[in-house]
Amino acid sequence: MSTASTRIRRTAGVLGTCLALAAVTSACGLGAGASGGEGGDDEIVIGISLPLTGDYSEPGKGVQAGYEAWADWTNDNGGLLGKQVRLEILDDQSNADRVASDYEQLINSEQVDLVFGPFSTRLVVPAAQVAQDYGFLFVEPAGAAEEVFTQGFDNLFYAAPAVADDHYNLLAEHILAMPEDERPRTAAFAAMDDPFAQGTAYGLRDKLEEAGVEIVVDEVYPPNTTDFSSIAAQIADSDADMVVGGTQYQDAVNMIVALQQLDYQPDLAAFSTAPTNPEFAEAIGGATEGIIAPTGYTPEAPYPSNEEFVDYYTEATGEAPGEDQANAWTTGQVTAAAVEAVGCADPDPECQGQLIDWLRENEVDTVVGPLTWDAEGRPESAHLIQQYVDGEIRIVLPEQSAEADFVMPKPAW
Amino acid sequence: MSASLLLQGVILGILLGGLYALLAAGLTLYFGVMRVVMIAHSAFLILAAYIAWWMNTSLGLDPLLSLVVTVPSFFVVGYVMQRGLLSRLRPATLTMMSVLLTFAIALTIEGALGYFFTGTQRRIQLSYASASFEVLGAQVAVVKLVAFGLAVVALVALWAVLKLTSFGQALRATIQHPEAARLLGIDTDRIAGFGFGLGLATAAIGGTALSLDSTIYPSLHWHWIGPLMAIIVIGGLGSIPGAAIAAMLLGVSQALLQIPLGTTWAQTVFYVALFATLMVRPQGFFGGRLAQRF
Repeated sequence: MSTASTRIRRTAGVLGTCLALAAVTSACGLGAGASGGEGGDDEIVIGISLPLTGDYSEPGKGVQAGYEAWADWTNDNGGLLGKQVRLEILDDQSNADRVASDYEQLINSEQVDLVFGPFSTRLVVPAAQVAQDYGFLFVEPAGAAEEVFTQGFDNLFYAAPAVADDHYNLLAEHILAMPEDERPRTAAFAAMDDPFAQGTAYGLRDKLEEAGVEIVVDEVYPPNTTDFSSIAAQIADSDADMVVGGTQYQDAVNMIVALQQLDYQPDLAAFSTAPTNPEFAEAIGGATEGIIAPTGYTPEAPYPSNEEFVDYYTEATGEAPGEDQANAWTTGQVTAAAVEAVGCADPDPECQGQLIDWLRENEVDTVVGPLTWDAEGRPESAHLIQQYVDGEIRIVLPEQSAEADFVMPKPAW
Repeated sequence: MSASLLLQGVILGILLGGLYALLAAGLTLYFGVMRVVMIAHSAFLILAAYIAWWMNTSLGLDPLLSLVVTVPSFFVVGYVMQRGLLSRLRPATLTMMSVLLTFAIALTIEGALGYFFTGTQRRIQLSYASASFEVLGAQVAVVKLVAFGLAVVALVALWAVLKLTSFGQALRATIQHPEAARLLGIDTDRIAGFGFGLGLATAAIGGTALSLDSTIYPSLHWHWIGPLMAIIVIGGLGSIPGAAIAAMLLGVSQALLQIPLGTTWAQTVFYVALFATLMVRPQGFFGGRLAQRF
């Protein structure tokens, strides 16, 4: 008797506190409630933290645009499980401490039903850890470095064709397939001290080195570096046959301008991420001809859902989507596929566990092609290699989807 | 390290050192006239760079034209800041409290830049950004040379003002001995205000020079203030020639050390030099009389 009455009193107390809190925050979960019991019952709330300011604000906003377009498109097409989708987006200021507390807040006090990942490896790892602690499925658009997949996460799926180390695989194969006397003999590498940027460059570096290409410069610079003149001086002095930048955006622009200032003319020049940015050509003064970049996405890709995506996005925003928008959209597609297949979308660990299990065993058709994942969440597909040919960035590798022929040696910049 | 790379490194170092010299000159001037540690100096530097960028992107003007606006307005802001804020601090705790006050100003500027222009990295796109010419096998970038030229012209002008005008004489007298200067009829309060304005004007010129060939973002000023503080201590607090010489030496050292050590470790040259200076010659290497009084 006494136990029962204590329990009742305690429950009443909890309820009272909850009511008081609910008046203020309208958020009051009592453990795993019935499906869809949180937030509004007729909507699915998706929690996201993105770097909208700080170092990663440029790509962060691209991802935001992709997420918002996906949510609008989903709502225009009947929603998810018949419910409207609402995004709850916080700004983590590109700060790894902030991103963890953002996801804590989204899951705990905002009581979101699902979460999507932030931008870039440095922020994905702490965010995925929080999601893992709460048993949430974590599909992310931009954590491609190897360290994302070696933390023991069993809830993570990277919504893109390939991990960072494999971005240049097709380029490496192409170079190594050249006759000995036409191959580049020396290569210079410079990479930002960032797991994604380094991953892309070092994946290629290791493959070339193994095949006997001499690595004559191998520099690392901090993320906020603005002066690339010394790095450029070393690369120019080495006169390497090819230069590869493990870059994000602004660092690639600065490095290329510094290399141009020193009149260094390589036969091959490849930079991660930046060349696929629409502002890139203008930023380096138009001298883009022959610059190579790996890309996980191009609007021309012939996958059925991609045409729909490009049309919708172009109509909504007036411009074609880029890789960041596409990966965000892919994140939405992957999560939605699991939700529709399993038939639930709520914070209950059982539901989240079912979503995770479903993605382990199934292939999802996305705007970047059909995706499957290994046990650690690495996607098992390949990146395209693009190159600026005749003033436009075009697919040059693999040869079966090429829009233009691979150009080497690169014209002077 | 090949000879051509060494030469290229020295040239890059001299071009960088010129900008350091101009900025350090302004910073040491504040300390000279007022014993004020001006943490916000580099924040004004970035503010000027943003103004140059903004005038270039939204009005289509060459960034150098922004000097017409920034130099006089920064002079006025400096004067008002000194008369309105810094001169109200109690003399007994002036040096310490000025750190806090100017720290707050730096944060305010950074926050305002972030609010109006967002945290996105910006870079002025100039048609001549990648132009360069060859000197003895090394390449000299036109934009870097323009920035260096600006710094040299500003430093020479600063030197001329201090040495050749009666205002400069009064300013130097105020730096050397404020009480004696007052006895001779110099209005040291006004002169200190003008000195402060002059210091801030160097930040305006430096910011324009910086914007020509560098990416800018609101928190960039933290990367500048540390090296600049180290430079003025090494040069001897309050000594403008000392600051300029130390800036040039450290700029060249940094550029050369980047080649064997990489960008990350080369930054430490300023602090290693600072520690060494404090151990061997704490008053700095030039005109150290002021620092000895602390």
